[in-house]
Amino acid sequence: MSLDGYPVVIPLRDGRTVTVRPMTAADGERLLRFFRALPEEDRQFLKEDVTQKEVVERFVAELDYERVFPLLAEYQGEIVGDATLHRTKHGWSTHVAAIRMVVARQFQRSGLATALARLLVQHAVNVGVDKMIAEIVDNQVGARRAFAKLGFVEEAVLKGHVKDRSGVRRDLVIMANDVSHLWEAMEAMVADFSPTVGA
Amino acid sequence: MAKTEIRVGGLGGQGVILSAHIIGKAASIYDDKYATLIQAFGPEARGSACSAQVTVSDETIGYPYVKNPDILVVMSPDAYAQFVPTLKPGGVLLYEQDLITVDDRLPAGARAYGVPATRLAEELGRRLVLNIVMVGFFAGVTELVPFEAIANAVKSSVPKGTEDLNLRALKRGYDYGRDQVARATA
Repeated sequence: MSLDGYPVVIPLRDGRTVTVRPMTAADGERLLRFFRALPEEDRQFLKEDVTQKEVVERFVAELDYERVFPLLAEYQGEIVGDATLHRTKHGWSTHVAAIRMVVARQFQRSGLATALARLLVQHAVNVGVDKMIAEIVDNQVGARRAFAKLGFVEEAVLKGHVKDRSGVRRDLVIMANDVSHLWEAMEAMVADFSPTVGA
Repeated sequence: MAKTEIRVGGLGGQGVILSAHIIGKAASIYDDKYATLIQAFGPEARGSACSAQVTVSDETIGYPYVKNPDILVVMSPDAYAQFVPTLKPGGVLLYEQDLITVDDRLPAGARAYGVPATRLAEELGRRLVLNIVMVGFFAGVTELVPFEAIANAVKSSVPKGTEDLNLRALKRGYDYGRDQVARATA
């Protein structure tokens, strides 16, 4: 898999800059530090208990960019954001990928999450994904707005699907971005019947 | 006057015309040369024979038809069989090596360079970009137009949002071509 273009330096709205690059096997300790520093309310919607050393060790030990493509954002040598693109290699949804993301509190509302999501969308298009989804809790307004900016639309709502720390059930919104139309245009272009092809 | 005649042949749906269009566009718009394009289709485009003739020159081109190309780019066995006898002696054949076997129909002195364009495109994630891999291979082997010119032609020709993958396909083909030339001259 090509990793051309990385690392990427991202200027944030507040003047800081972060460096974004794919996760490597050497990132275990810093990644664990990042996850453990997250407030509990930010961790509760993650799929695994990332404060457990063995969980994070598994992440870095089983790196397979074609299954999970993980991007890390670094600021002053510390990880401040983790964004992943999850794909399945078998079954009926190999054309679909899921985006998951978590950003350190001090970098929320700085534009970092949008930048990470944009990089993952570009990567997904590059590796042939037709459709991307992101699961967002209904009160994560900023995240919904950020994904909407990238072309995601609300496709489904799972009522009362998640429970927050206080026991309140919340809706889980599935946002989706179908990019297959980009390639439909390319397919039409290579169909070899239009005399104005590529014009 | 430096004039190069090129024929691109393959099946409808392989992007034969787009390949030829990009080569001509790179030369004429982005490299200050002159270029003409003639295209021919089978009765039904997809899956039938399809070819294009491109002429690139330092001066205006009075006659755009190509009978005996200096460079032949083929992406299907049928196109190879049909056009390889027309290649100029000493010309250059660029072919999809997973689909075509070069045989004794290759004219005397002609140089043949193969690329697994379909496989490289699939490795990049989209079989659809095989024609762009082929264009990159063309640029890498022939150096008829600079890489920057061909990259600009690709960028301005493909649908918005697909530029990145198409440019990577171009680079993959280009590097493969440069490597093939280096091996041949080593």
